[in-house]
Amino acid sequence: MAYPSVYPTGVTIYDPKKCWSGYTIFQAKEAGALLIDMNGTEVQLWKGLHGFPNTILPGGYVMGHLGLRNNAFGMQDQTDLVQVDWDGNVVWKFNQYEYIEDPGEEPQWMARQHHDFQREGNPVGYYVPGMDPRVDGGNTLILCHKNLYNKKISDKRLLDDTIIEVTWGGDIVWEWTCSDHFDEFGFSEAAKNILCRDPNMRTAGGGMGDWMHVNCMSVLGPNRWYDAGDERFHPDNIIIDGRETNILAIIDKKTGKIVWQVGPEYDTSPALKKLGWIIGVHHTHMISRGLPGEGNILLFDNGGWAGYGVPNPGSPTGSKNALRDYSRVLEFDPVTLQIVWQYTPKEAGFVHPPDSNRFYSPFISGAQRLPNGNTLITEGSGGRAFEVTPDHEIVWEYISPYWGKQMKMNMVYRAYRVPYEWVPQAERAPETPIERIDVAKFRVPGAAPLGRKKETAIEGTKPYQGSTALCIAAAEEVDEK
Amino acid sequence: MSGFTVYSATGCVRCKIVKGYMDAQGMTYVEKDMKAEGKEDFQKFYAANRRQIFRGPEGVEFPIVTDGTAIRQGVGACLAYLYAGRELDGFFSAGTLHKEWVDGIHAAGGNPAAGEKFLAVVRLLKGNNFKLVVDTYGRNPALLEKLLAENLVDVAVMEVMASAGLAGAIFGQPLAQEDIERSVALVATAPEYRFQTTVVPVAEGGQARYLTPQEVVAAAKLLATVTRSKKNPYLIKLYRPVQPKDERLGELAPLPAAALLAYRSQARAYQVLAEAEKE
Repeated sequence: MAYPSVYPTGVTIYDPKKCWSGYTIFQAKEAGALLIDMNGTEVQLWKGLHGFPNTILPGGYVMGHLGLRNNAFGMQDQTDLVQVDWDGNVVWKFNQYEYIEDPGEEPQWMARQHHDFQREGNPVGYYVPGMDPRVDGGNTLILCHKNLYNKKISDKRLLDDTIIEVTWGGDIVWEWTCSDHFDEFGFSEAAKNILCRDPNMRTAGGGMGDWMHVNCMSVLGPNRWYDAGDERFHPDNIIIDGRETNILAIIDKKTGKIVWQVGPEYDTSPALKKLGWIIGVHHTHMISRGLPGEGNILLFDNGGWAGYGVPNPGSPTGSKNALRDYSRVLEFDPVTLQIVWQYTPKEAGFVHPPDSNRFYSPFISGAQRLPNGNTLITEGSGGRAFEVTPDHEIVWEYISPYWGKQMKMNMVYRAYRVPYEWVPQAERAPETPIERIDVAKFRVPGAAPLGRKKETAIEGTKPYQGSTALCIAAAEEVDEK
Repeated sequence: MSGFTVYSATGCVRCKIVKGYMDAQGMTYVEKDMKAEGKEDFQKFYAANRRQIFRGPEGVEFPIVTDGTAIRQGVGACLAYLYAGRELDGFFSAGTLHKEWVDGIHAAGGNPAAGEKFLAVVRLLKGNNFKLVVDTYGRNPALLEKLLAENLVDVAVMEVMASAGLAGAIFGQPLAQEDIERSVALVATAPEYRFQTTVVPVAEGGQARYLTPQEVVAAAKLLATVTRSKKNPYLIKLYRPVQPKDERLGELAPLPAAALLAYRSQARAYQVLAEAEKE
């Protein structure tokens, strides 16, 4: 789908009456951790502070990373995880997970963190009433990398995902390694075959198979399922997803075993078929108690390309054999798998499928449930964060103006909204509504305004029709199937 | 010597090596192939001697040799007994490795006075194209040095305690601090090596306790001091009682694997590659 080459950035829509207003934090590409208000005022940039992701803690603290391992040797390995105060002072730092000696680089300890972390007190990394993350103590769960071999998966060197729990003092007190649980994920023989031959080999470090690519990790927290006696949903348990495998999984914190799982196949039961293939997924988490939809699973189903299995015309080898060119945000019941709420191209108002890829981020992205029931969606690849009501109305929209010089994208990994009170240092600005511009009439300087100089009626012309006359089946014609 | 019984398994190369040695020495023996006609006899023998026969995760290792007074299991232990009787006790035990690898060779385990005979048996093993894993906890460094000098060691493994006093209490043999340090230095010269410390129960003041993180840190520090390197392969191991009731455990509860992570964190101050064994 054609993107225009000229379009506005910053905040483009804001309805203060319908929004859950506050500050939004995100990683501005190759700039740093950027905090903006609802009108897009850049309240503070923690310059150069990496964010995979950045989060705000009460008191105006920001979490992020001081650096990224040289890409020639590592894949998305952040050197550390740090907590920085409003004035930029590092007040907490963890990096002692692995001692790294890369050629030509200074030997150093690294956290090898990637994609996620959670500070004790808050299960999901974003605002939950009554569940503030700790800022001066507590443990931190960190998603990390480790290179290893596991012959059950492949004879190739793997880039595995691990989760560690680190005390405030820096001691690792719990560790979980994804590949240890390979047998529990229930891969088909076809999937194992291609995984063995190509476990998503990446070039860094002479080659390593990023076979699972876990890209989120959060705690379930208190929930109604556990209260009703379902041990799978113990509040301490951890939920993850695997981008490359299309798997969503809950890890038993005590045993490390997988106790709940969706995927990797989505055609093995009527409930899964109805849920539909979740592909290249990001930010799978349980909506925390105290937020509308609590207990449901919320995720950004990217689409794109992911999975291992039977080869098909779009995947001659069976690698990344599930394909879809639009995204979905899904909220579903983890027991019945029934979709409770969704934001897909259809809810966005696009004709499906020919116009569906106007809501599409094939990588990164996320979704945050807000206390008023709205959802803050990060459609990451295009640098877009927007807030929608339960009725799918866009009440806030922001396009990042930060394009990288090293990587020429304005991508936003994951944006988080926090209450104003969490940043007491900032002066709260007025909330100025921003009306949605009628793009049919909007013109850049020098462009002619909308309107014909001359309009001629032709006798005998017939009225235009709907979408069923397209070259491909669309809209209602697709829905009826 | 005569009157040996060799319990073997069809196709077992190690059994053939032991039988070949016995044939060459003119030793008489009866063979019981547990996969053929000797199956019933082996089952009876196993049932009567279960406690003396090591059964690993992949089953019982063969060969097993007995003369009615002693039972020896594994190619190393069998050859040692056939070569020198009980003189080499402590140097060999049943191993856990397969194919070309032989472990269960304990440089620190036996009487150093029998050192030359020990070396002769190790040469015998090496002469059969085995790759050898030799372990030590610090005793008999002179023997280890000879093994290394003759390129008889493919992998050296050392169980490290920081002090001779602690090591003596744990391994039940007095040993000198200088022997521990000399062994550390020697192990680090092996073609492949690793150090390890098992978090074992220690009797202290009439009560049992596990090795403390500080004691493991001290071991890691010793490695750094002796080898002048913080990058030795170093594994912190979980204690697994061999017997159903290990007297050293007393009332101690088994240590969960996760507990080793705190040991690892602290040990990494001196050995950056320290790892904790998993469950």
